[in-house]
Amino acid sequence: MLTAAALCPAPPLLARELTGADPVVPELRQACREAADVLVQADPDVVVVVGAGERTRAFDAAAAHLDLAPYAPALGARPAGPETLPLPLGLGGRLLDEAGYHGRRELQAVGADEPAPACAALGASLARTAPRVALLVMADGSARRSRRAPGHLDERSAAFDAAVGRAIRDGDMPALLALDAGLAGDLMATGRPAWQVLAGAVNGGRATSVIRYDDDPFGVAYLVASLTVG
Amino acid sequence: MSDAGAPQPGHPDGPDSAGMLRLGKRAFPPGQPLIMAIVNRTPDSFFQPGVTWSESAAFHRVDQAIAEGADIIDVGGIPAAPGSEVDVAEEIRRIAGFIAAIRSRYPDIVISADTWRHQAGRAACEAGADLLNDSWGGFDERLADVAAEFGAGLVCAHVGSQRPRTRPFRVAYPDVMADVLAQTLREANRALAAGVQPDRIVLDPAHDFGKNTWHSLEVTRRLDELTATGWPVLVSLSNKDFVGESLDLPPEHRLAGTLAATAVSAWHGARIFRVHQVRESRQVVDMVATIRGDRPPARTVRGLA
Repeated sequence: MLTAAALCPAPPLLARELTGADPVVPELRQACREAADVLVQADPDVVVVVGAGERTRAFDAAAAHLDLAPYAPALGARPAGPETLPLPLGLGGRLLDEAGYHGRRELQAVGADEPAPACAALGASLARTAPRVALLVMADGSARRSRRAPGHLDERSAAFDAAVGRAIRDGDMPALLALDAGLAGDLMATGRPAWQVLAGAVNGGRATSVIRYDDDPFGVAYLVASLTVG
Repeated sequence: MSDAGAPQPGHPDGPDSAGMLRLGKRAFPPGQPLIMAIVNRTPDSFFQPGVTWSESAAFHRVDQAIAEGADIIDVGGIPAAPGSEVDVAEEIRRIAGFIAAIRSRYPDIVISADTWRHQAGRAACEAGADLLNDSWGGFDERLADVAAEFGAGLVCAHVGSQRPRTRPFRVAYPDVMADVLAQTLREANRALAAGVQPDRIVLDPAHDFGKNTWHSLEVTRRLDELTATGWPVLVSLSNKDFVGESLDLPPEHRLAGTLAATAVSAWHGARIFRVHQVRESRQVVDMVATIRGDRPPARTVRGLA
């Protein structure tokens, strides 16, 4: 069953080497590190990293890699052969590495169009894979929160992200399952399916949370939180 | 390439194998472009004549150049062009005390003396200069001895067969770049033989010196052949006639052309840029270093949030 979860955003700039000489978001990275540390300290049998991908599928944590060269060719391409992870899974794996986690790890992509019931079912099945399952959920809110945001301003973003933040803070999983996939798509909120996997994994349990970061420095909603499920 | 028997990179008597350039107390790796700010203690240099003739104006220029990102201050007491005679005593009077005053105010800045005369070089080194910037291709052979004696750096420039303070008159080369390579490498070897430290030797193709505009353009275009020697390369392009003749512009309107030539030279791997306009030049060489991948961008967020 699910015993703990961490929620982190997955923008490319979470990778320090992508922001040039300026760390740009040191507080965000610090909050993510703390969330990963707390997750690992919950002594899980397995950590499942969940994040958006082209389609729903698992990746082999031993064989697939984070590759940042597509975002910054100057970093140099990885040698051909190993499969490249969707960025959220790659960044999540890196957070576990940095937290010193060497235990069992699984990487689960969830398709951008996966409907809520399928997301919830996936979460429930992930939670059954071990007595103590921890989830590292890599999910972003709306990218349309301001005129300078990547998707420009959509006035509906504020209420959408506020609802997500409230649901995480209050452990209100049904509210996450009720998120409108169409609206999330309009708002470029790529985290919607992963949040719903989390909700399915909690599966009736009681979640309490600590919010570690909640801001949108570049017009994209970033939320970092630690959840304990009991 | 050259008949000068040039030492190659990594050779015990060639350029530093890691490409390090040492000037004064500082060590600079390849990929870090350096701006050398011109501060002329002359009443009659070609660009903004007399602007730093007074000591207070010159000091203001030094302060400003360093604030704008200069790594090296190049102090000169004699214009390159023909003009009223400046004897050794007068040259020393113009530069030595000023160099000492800069050294006192800025203990760590690299100071260069723009001179070809060994007596002036000696006075400059005694006052705290770290580099002897000889634009006249070793005309005074004893300058290298002075650099060696003081552990100073030496710029080895190409001037063809031209003598100090003369203008080129119908100069012609079968292959100007081959001549640049041969002469600068010959001078570098001579500097080594004189005892100048190998990681303090710099080559300068010396645009406009012993060259018409066609020659300077060719040298700019083929500068990678000089940087390929492994020796650090200095370029002095700032507002020069080859820029003016290329664009048909007087000295006060040559900044954009200078910066274009600066960018091409930086792309070809030049490491020191001797300039009048520090702020603009700093931006250009930093931008080119960033394009080359030698320097990270300052702050990248676009498309990455």
